[in-house]
Amino acid sequence: MRFVLVAAALLAWEAAARSGLWSPLLFPSLASIASELGRLLASGEFLLEAWVTLARALGGFALAAACGVLLGMLMGRSAFVAGLLDPLFSGTYAVPKLALFPIFVFVFGIGSLSKIALVFLECLYPIAIMTYHGARDVNRSLLWAAQGMGASRAAILRRVVVPATAPFIFAGFRVAVPVAMIVVVITEMVSSADGLGYRVVYALSSLKTDRMLAVVVVIAVLGWALDRAVVLLRDRLIYWEKLDTYYV
Amino acid sequence: MGLPRAGLLLLVLAAWQLAALAGLPSYILGPAEILRDFATALGSSELYEHAGASLARSLPGFALGTAAGAALGTAAGVARGFDRMISPAVFLSYPVPKIVMLPIFMLWFGIGDLSKILIIALACFYPVFINAYAGARQTRTILVWSALNMGAGRARIFRSVVLPSAAPMIFAGMRVALALSFVVMFAAEMINARSGLGYLIRVAENSLRFDLMWVSLLSIAILGYTGDRVLRSVRARALAWQGEPQ
Repeated sequence: MRFVLVAAALLAWEAAARSGLWSPLLFPSLASIASELGRLLASGEFLLEAWVTLARALGGFALAAACGVLLGMLMGRSAFVAGLLDPLFSGTYAVPKLALFPIFVFVFGIGSLSKIALVFLECLYPIAIMTYHGARDVNRSLLWAAQGMGASRAAILRRVVVPATAPFIFAGFRVAVPVAMIVVVITEMVSSADGLGYRVVYALSSLKTDRMLAVVVVIAVLGWALDRAVVLLRDRLIYWEKLDTYYV
Repeated sequence: MGLPRAGLLLLVLAAWQLAALAGLPSYILGPAEILRDFATALGSSELYEHAGASLARSLPGFALGTAAGAALGTAAGVARGFDRMISPAVFLSYPVPKIVMLPIFMLWFGIGDLSKILIIALACFYPVFINAYAGARQTRTILVWSALNMGAGRARIFRSVVLPSAAPMIFAGMRVALALSFVVMFAAEMINARSGLGYLIRVAENSLRFDLMWVSLLSIAILGYTGDRVLRSVRARALAWQGEPQ
């Protein structure tokens, strides 16, 4: 019942594919996409390419998570650091960092490094900004209570600030993970000789629409799985607070 | 932004300029040089044409995606049947990078502007939908009850209670969508276009015109920044009863 619209869309697709109104180049049938998908998944070469894409996304994301949480915490707990870095972050927030990619290619080379650097830069913003807001707005009475009970600064950081900020950190992660996938795929589509984004463009230029859509399915599943992983990890670590119900 | 707050920014620029004077690789220009090239480019019509072509793609896409996202999101937030039907599909496809649909959109809608506008609209739809949905659902029940008590009809409650409570969230979603619209526009133009700033930067890259590369980079940065400022001032106008957002 929940996925009635998804099922309807798939049915409409299949009907359009079988109606013969459009060439199979425009609307390949679900069966041919599925068989291409099976062939791709059976080939070790393709799995290696999927791994390349995933590794780039995760590498950039991990770097951004480490730096973003650190910077956000510093900004949230120190007015001096916030005064220093906040103008930098809010001034460049709306600037599409993707435009830096050609320059990154010259600086870091055309391989994985330029892509990881761009993923890092794009993911840094949501993570750092969310962490900053969370760390800044820690409930003051909790801080006072901890101080009143004689907790040291380190203990307050570990027992009060970090747990209070954790939901915000994960909200930042949740924004950043799809961004990481988007950026990796775009950069691979624009300039690469490997990875899933490259396979999409390659399949298109060889007019293999069914194969292209099979790669799109793989990218979609990867993006969805990464998001699920973040949600699962969040529910594990932040067991005391339920995620907003509006996320299915 | 006071001078002390801009301190680090100025420091970075100064260090960059000093490094440029000391000698950087040819593909990294100094700030002064970039500004000079930018001023020269402003004197010719080429830059305006490409910036115009880019905006002609990103703004309609943004408007279309935002309108659809806000309408369907608030509708799903207030109507349970509609919510059950549409929300699982939206949340299932939300983490999927929408840009991978560009090639298939190019097959369906041609390689012209339509496919690019539609892919931008698709990317903008999601953040606005999710925020509008959450905003509409967060409407405080007590306000709805008060309105009911005072004899308001369903349409009136939607207009006077639900929409104003969802509006701050919708604007937050629009801010994300605007940034996204520039990213997707740029990506689409880098992948396949004959005009626009993304195309310009590709041309510059291929012909090693580093001055042109930095000029297009600066133009896109200015466009993104200005768009965000405009949206924020519209928000301040429209939601005057609300405080400044974080």
